Amino acid sequence: MQQPDSAELGRLIEAVGLNRDRAAFARLFQHFAPRLKTYLMRAGAAPSAAEDFAQEAMLTVWRKASLFDPRRAGASTWVFTIARNLRIDALRREKLDSREPDITELPDDPLTPDAILSGADDTIRVGSALSALTDDQARLIKLSYFHEKAHAEIARELGIPLGTVKSRLRLAVIKLRSLLSETQ
Amino acid sequence: MTRIVHIPAEETLLAYAAGTLRAPEAAVVAAHLALCPESDRFVAELQALGGALIGSLPPTALAADSLGRMMARIDADGGEAGAELPMNDMADLPEPLRRYPLGPWRWLGPGTRVRSVGVPKDGDCRVLMFSIGPGRKMPQHTHDGVEMTLVLEGSYRDESGHFGPGDFEEADTATDHQPVVDSDVPCLCLVALDGQIRLSGLVGRMIQPFVRL
Repeated sequence: MQQPDSAELGRLIEAVGLNRDRAAFARLFQHFAPRLKTYLMRAGAAPSAAEDFAQEAMLTVWRKASLFDPRRAGASTWVFTIARNLRIDALRREKLDSREPDITELPDDPLTPDAILSGADDTIRVGSALSALTDDQARLIKLSYFHEKAHAEIARELGIPLGTVKSRLRLAVIKLRSLLSETQ
Repeated sequence: MTRIVHIPAEETLLAYAAGTLRAPEAAVVAAHLALCPESDRFVAELQALGGALIGSLPPTALAADSLGRMMARIDADGGEAGAELPMNDMADLPEPLRRYPLGPWRWLGPGTRVRSVGVPKDGDCRVLMFSIGPGRKMPQHTHDGVEMTLVLEGSYRDESGHFGPGDFEEADTATDHQPVVDSDVPCLCLVALDGQIRLSGLVGRMIQPFVRL
């Protein structure tokens, strides 16, 4: 089956919100649940915990679909925000910490040109801002999405002090912020 | 409202957007975002980046019965949102704080009161709300970890500056500060706190064993 693009994903969420459309929901599940599972496994969760998390996040998508507003956020951003809130609120740290994350499993280049082009406007903007950073800076920022202990792990991996990782990350985020404000 | 001067560090907003802050810290940042359009806009961008990362992750195979289990769950769920918690008694709070249950106000010293905010704890880290009268100092406390403070009403001053409504301050173990309230009205602030509060003065030391915060 062809990957639905961002506009299609948005229409599917709206169909769930307006009509409780089960077929639309099944397509959303097939697109997002396997990726949410990857997201949580890269954050250090065991596969079964990551699968439970994906189910919980998708149940929230079902419940809150009527609140989705495509003018405010793209479909992937909206689903990410739901998963993010769930990660903060509900997921117990014990589950998240059940496995040490492997730094080599982190995505090298998650923002392929196709992914950027199929995204909503906000996704295109952040994608191009990210690509204007140095490789190291972009990598530090991406790493920050996957594990709260990323700083210590990056420090170990690169053999540099923790304080250096923190100051480099800080510079990277500040640069990202200025790049984003230029394109507004 | 006065202009917001002190906003969270970029990396703190990134950690919030990414979902790696602890729940008490995230609650204080979320309340700041409700008051500060500038921080809120940057977090929206970082969330869009999160969306782009999720959208481009390679899929991991689900368990064989995963879709069937999911469809059974939504059928049983009927699409009903879970019962929402009732609003708490402080109507002026920013929206993200209205549904947290609030504990009773406790006396902490002259002009100083504290109540718990029902955000899930993470270890010793929890959210407290302080109300501190004009000219009073914040209670002495230890910093075992990072502490995040958001001013909701009134203002205080410490060596890092003047903090009014919407302003956000992060202090860590290296910070030794004792803010003084410099507004005419009590300063109401929300704090994600890791350390213990030490009550000063004779009365404070006498009641310390009975004040569990």
